[in-house]
Amino acid sequence: MSLAELAALPVATSAPPRLHVLRRFSHRFKASLPAYLLLLPSLVFLALFTYGAMGRVFVDALYQRATPKAPLRFVGLDNISAVLADPYFTGAVVNNLVYALGTAIPSIALALLFALALARTNAVSSVLRAALFLPVLIPMVAASALFLFIFLPNVGLLDYYIGRLLPVLPNWLGDPDIALYAIMVITIWKNAGYYMLFFLAGLQAVPEDVMEAAHLDGAGPFQRLLYIILPELKPTFLFVIVIATLNAVTQVDHVFVMTKGGPSNATNLVLFYIYQQAVEHYDIGKASAATLLTLGALMGLTALSFRTMASREGGP
Amino acid sequence: MLFSRRLMLGLAMAGTLAGALAFPALAAGPTEIDLFFPVPVDGKLARDMGTLIKEFNEGHPNIKATAVYTGSYDDTLIKTRAAMKAGKPPAAVIMSANFLLDMQIENELTNLDSLIAADGTTKEQFLGQFFPALQGNAVINRSVYGVPFHNSTPLLYINADQAKEAGLDPNKPPQTWAELTDWAKKLTKREGDKVTRWGIAIPCAYDYCGWMMETLTMTNGGRYYNEEFGGEVYYDTPSMLGALTWWNDLIAKHKVHAPGATPGPAVSTSFISGNAAMMMLSTGSLTYVRDNAKFNYKVAFIPRNVRNAVPIGGASLIIPAGLEADKQKAAWTLIKWMTSPEKSAWWSRATGYFAPNMAAYKTPDMVDFLNKNPDAKTAVEQLDVAKPWFATYKTVPVRKTLEDEVMLVLNGKKQPKEALVAAQKAADETLKPYNAETSLKLP
Repeated sequence: MSLAELAALPVATSAPPRLHVLRRFSHRFKASLPAYLLLLPSLVFLALFTYGAMGRVFVDALYQRATPKAPLRFVGLDNISAVLADPYFTGAVVNNLVYALGTAIPSIALALLFALALARTNAVSSVLRAALFLPVLIPMVAASALFLFIFLPNVGLLDYYIGRLLPVLPNWLGDPDIALYAIMVITIWKNAGYYMLFFLAGLQAVPEDVMEAAHLDGAGPFQRLLYIILPELKPTFLFVIVIATLNAVTQVDHVFVMTKGGPSNATNLVLFYIYQQAVEHYDIGKASAATLLTLGALMGLTALSFRTMASREGGP
Repeated sequence: MLFSRRLMLGLAMAGTLAGALAFPALAAGPTEIDLFFPVPVDGKLARDMGTLIKEFNEGHPNIKATAVYTGSYDDTLIKTRAAMKAGKPPAAVIMSANFLLDMQIENELTNLDSLIAADGTTKEQFLGQFFPALQGNAVINRSVYGVPFHNSTPLLYINADQAKEAGLDPNKPPQTWAELTDWAKKLTKREGDKVTRWGIAIPCAYDYCGWMMETLTMTNGGRYYNEEFGGEVYYDTPSMLGALTWWNDLIAKHKVHAPGATPGPAVSTSFISGNAAMMMLSTGSLTYVRDNAKFNYKVAFIPRNVRNAVPIGGASLIIPAGLEADKQKAAWTLIKWMTSPEKSAWWSRATGYFAPNMAAYKTPDMVDFLNKNPDAKTAVEQLDVAKPWFATYKTVPVRKTLEDEVMLVLNGKKQPKEALVAAQKAADETLKPYNAETSLKLP
């Protein structure tokens, strides 16, 4: 973690406590000046494109117009309460929770399965690894466009095969009961290979001698998995869970391309709700308020998971 | 001190660069203008637009126009608004015709009346060049805010081979809902409970769904919205109830239309692959069908229940508000050139949209084209009964309230009446702030 190292830099050069505060500060500053100067270019761009934008969102979330021609006025937390009271927002949050659980669990389980099956390197497993990793290389928008045709009712690839088995063909993206699951399938297909990489790396760290000892003690493959491999993979699990959850909130390309949140808002996710407020409703105040809520939730979640990780392992 | 000299050098370089970027206009030369254009249909439109603008620049040495591709209609609106917020509005934009009212309410459009007057023509003369059906979306409060550029109407597409096979005469296409229902029944093929070919397909995805609801409501004698005032829509009405009930009957009662909401591309693919014998789709898809159908097809007017009527679709050229006078003038020159009969006709042949300028159909190239492609003529003839596209305050969210409910009906989750009541309620809620400022602002 580069962030952790940077934070540690000034601490390492800190002077004894009896020095004058100002002197101590200037001493510290002088010591870390080159570091800050080296960081300056990226700090400038971060400020311009990340912190600046976040600050703007924070300000915009506090203003609203009463009627279209009325001027913007300060409304405090009204936008936030309006978002929380909006059934479309709560609907999007529920959809997003279903989506997060329904994509994280299967894709992590699949990733672990793939990693366990392909942990030993040989020609066959290398080819299979590459094949499973392939979906990661396809941009989400392109993948969505592909799946749009796979999911076409009656004439799509999926119905072409399943159609022989089922009497009534499902309208994959046009039925509000199915559409969200159809979207989830793409996410799982796309992400499982990516998470597999982390598990493959994690498996390398499982100590060989412990495994051998277990083998000699007569532990079966299932026991070895349960008592040695899985506990050793805990930090990997935590990391992948964080990534999967963040993906579930920040990846909406396929919703955008395939359903636009429909039918009847069945696939409306939080990020797409924000887009709708900003673009379709042209309600910058509400869009910013929803962004703040989402950012808050994501930052809280990330902080919590990294703290758990740090206390467990002293870093990922 | 290690960094200072390099830092200074770097800063100086950045400063020069920023200066060069900020003041390009200091160098005297042609007026530089940007045209934002979307590509809403499949095809090589972006290349065609490049050809068009190149020709314009060659003929107008005082103006240097640049065509900027901005994605879909929705994306174009976003990018135009973003550019305006940044203080650098494009000089002209090809904007979806039903976004104009919303933009005018937000004070984002230039009123074109004074530019028309400066040319020494009257508004009536200027608008008189275009098909009357297109004027409703270009004129707001009796002022001109947009110039129609490419437009469409919905059409009924028929697989003529399948019709003949079912004993129907494709030269006498269905003219009423009753005839259409009858055709759809005869054209639907079943194996036991399983449908192997649908009689008809009507698209329903956000955007298309609202347009099709307007089409069906209009042919049922109704109106979708108040054409004179952006604060009212007519969802909970007998004419729309009849329209939605019939659409639902095609699915649930007659079983000749696939259940659920089907997006436009799925409908056209279904038709092209012979999986749907008829479809209702935009004239904008005509070129696609012409190029891809491996069977004989026919196009016809949208059948009526009460009257023949269809909404228009497509886009108009607009000039955003807050532009310098010289750029505004240059944009106006570009717009007039692009909507002239010759260019209008050329663009129509390239895209499949019809040309809004009536004189375009008298140019020799166009007369030839229509003789070779009589199906393109049907779209133009239907213009006689065309009316404006719905446009209200917050058009998209107001439209979406209806579409969400229609999708529930098509999926068999709600009855038409309760769906329309819910849609009306949600739409009224969205329109409330505008009404508070207009119709309900009382002395």
